[in-house]
Amino acid sequence: FILMLSLTLGTMITITSNHWVTAWAGLEINTLAIIPLISKSHHPRAIEAATKYFLTQATASALMLFSSMTNAWSSGQWDITQLTNPSSCLLLTAAIAIKLGLTPFHFWFPEVLQGSSLTTALLLSTAMKFPPTTILLLTSHSLNPTLLSTMAIMSIALGGWMGLNQTQTRKILAFSSISHLGWMTIIITYNPKLTLLTFYLYSLMTTSIFLSMNSTNTLKLSTLMTSWTKAPMLNTTLMLTLLSLAGLPPLTGFLPKWLIIQELTKQEMTTTATIISMLSLLGLFFYLRLTYCSTITLPPNSSNKMKQWSIKKPVNTLTPTL
Amino acid sequence: MALAATLLHNAYFCGRCCRHKALQPLLGPLLSDSLSKSYSSYRRPGSQPEKKTTWQNVDLSFKKSIEVLKTQLGMLKKETEDHLAGPEGQSLTHYMLEQTRVVWEFRSQEDLNKWVISSDVEIGGKSEVYLKLGRNNQTALLYGTLNTEVPRDGETKYSGYCSMRAKPLVGSFARKKYYDWSNFNSLYLRVRGDGRPWMVNIYTDPYFSHQKDDLYNYFMFTRGGPYWEEIKIPFSKFFLSSRGRVQDDQHPIWLDKISTVGFTIGDKVNGPFQLEIDFIGLLNDRAHTEEFAYETYEKNPPL
Repeated sequence: FILMLSLTLGTMITITSNHWVTAWAGLEINTLAIIPLISKSHHPRAIEAATKYFLTQATASALMLFSSMTNAWSSGQWDITQLTNPSSCLLLTAAIAIKLGLTPFHFWFPEVLQGSSLTTALLLSTAMKFPPTTILLLTSHSLNPTLLSTMAIMSIALGGWMGLNQTQTRKILAFSSISHLGWMTIIITYNPKLTLLTFYLYSLMTTSIFLSMNSTNTLKLSTLMTSWTKAPMLNTTLMLTLLSLAGLPPLTGFLPKWLIIQELTKQEMTTTATIISMLSLLGLFFYLRLTYCSTITLPPNSSNKMKQWSIKKPVNTLTPTL
Repeated sequence: MALAATLLHNAYFCGRCCRHKALQPLLGPLLSDSLSKSYSSYRRPGSQPEKKTTWQNVDLSFKKSIEVLKTQLGMLKKETEDHLAGPEGQSLTHYMLEQTRVVWEFRSQEDLNKWVISSDVEIGGKSEVYLKLGRNNQTALLYGTLNTEVPRDGETKYSGYCSMRAKPLVGSFARKKYYDWSNFNSLYLRVRGDGRPWMVNIYTDPYFSHQKDDLYNYFMFTRGGPYWEEIKIPFSKFFLSSRGRVQDDQHPIWLDKISTVGFTIGDKVNGPFQLEIDFIGLLNDRAHTEEFAYETYEKNPPL
C-alpha cells in the first residue's frame, strides 16, 4: 500500500513542479517505489527486470539532473519551462527518451515488462510514463524537433517490427507502448495538447487490456487463445480494445492518430505523416494477429491449467468498450 | 569496424572448433560456454595447459573474413525472414496448433557437434565420457566410466560426474538466441539407458552474471532394458538449483528464454554407464494440469 502511495506522491511531485530538483525528486521517488513492486515475486527474471529498470532509470535521472545543472549554470535559473542551453536540451531529450523507452533507448522496456507481473507492467507502462511526458510537455518549445521526430519515427518502426512474432503478451504490449510513445512524441513540438490526448487515450486502452489479461491470467499467446471459454464477453471486448489500440477507424484509438496526422500535414510534414502511418501498419498486423488468436479462431482445445478456470476478480467489461 | 568484428568472430570460431576436436571439452555442467579465460593463472588439474593463447589463433586473412561476413549476413537475412514468418520462424497457425516438437535429433555427426560433453576430469577426477553416433546413425550414445575417486587437492569432497550439454543457439554475429518453449509443458525424451538415474538440467541464460549458475533440474530414471523408453518430464517438476545446491525459493521455470539442456550422471556408483538417446522433444501434454510441483510457501509468514 505504501508503495502505491509513494508512486502517487512521486507522480504528483513531478507534475506540479516548476523547479528541476523537485521534478527529479519526484522521478526518483517513482523509480524507487516501483522497484520492489517489480521484484515482488522472487523469480530471477523479475529480479533481472528490476535491476535493468533501476539501472536505466537511474542513468536517465542522472542525465536529467546534469542537463538541469548545465542549464542553471548557463542561464542562472532552475525553471523547467526556460531551458535555454542547447546542450542541456539535448541531454534532457536523451534522458527523457531513456525514461520513456523511446528508440534507441528502448532495449530495457520489453524485458522489464516481461519480468514483472501484469499489474506492475500496467503501472510501468501507464503511470510511470506520465511524469516524463509532463516534463517533455513543459520543455517542448525548446527541444530539438528533428531529434524528437527521428526518435519518434524510429520508435514507431521498431515497435511495429519487433512486436511481430512475439509470443508473450507482455512483450507485445511493451512494443505497442513503444510505438504509441512514438506517436506521442512526434507531435509534441507542434501541438502538445495532442500528446496529452494520445497519452490519456493510450493509458485508458492499455489499462483495459492489462486488466482483462490479468483476470484471465494470459501471459502468452496460447493462453489468449483459450480464454474464450472463461469469459466470452471479456473476450469480445478485448478484441475491440486491441483493435482500438491498433487505431482502426470507428474505435476511439483512431482519434489521436487522425488528429496527429492532420497536425503534421498542417506543419508541412506530410512525408513524415505517411511514413508513420505506413509503419503503424506493422503494428496493426500484430494487433490483428492477437485478435485473431483470441477471438476469431477457436482453437481445438481448451486450457488445461487449473489456475485459469477461475476468474480472479469480477471483470469490468465496460472499460474496454470505451 | 566490420573487419575487426569479423576477425574477432574468426578467432571465436577457430577457438571453438579447436577446443572441441583436439582437446576434451572442458566445460562443466555448471559453467557456460565461453572463450577460454586469459586472466586466471590457476589451472585446475584436469584441464590441459593452454599451448596457444586465443589471440595467437587470430587469422588475419582478408578472404576468410569476407566469407565469414557473408555467412553472418546470410544468417541475418534468414533471421529477418523468420521474424516475418511468425513465432519461432514458423507461421502462426503452426505455432498455435503444434503439440509436439523435436528439438534435438541425432542422425549425423553435425547433430553430435551441437553437444558438449564433460566430466569431472576438469576438477582432477578420473571419469571418462565419450559421445558417438549409435548404430545406423539413428541415435547418440553417451558412454563412459564413472570414477568416484576424489581428486587429492584438499578441498574436493565428492567426485564422479559426467555430463552432456547442448551448445546454446548462436544467431548472426554471434548473438545469443534462445528457445521459446512457452507453448509446451513437458520434455519428451526417447532414451535407452542402463538403469542408472540421470539428471536433466535446463539452463535459462540470464542477463546478469550473478544468476549465471542457476539451473533447473529434475531426475530421469532409466530402465535399462533393451526396449526404448519414452520419458515425459513436465516442466512443472523442475526445481531450481544454483551451483548444485537446491534453492529455498522455488518457482516454476519460465519457458520463454531457454538456452541449453543437459544430462548429468553423478549417482556415486563406480562403474560404466551408457545412455542412448534417439531424440529430445517437447510435448504439450493436455492432460497435465499441475502448475508447479513444489509448494511455494512463505518462509517468514506475517503473524
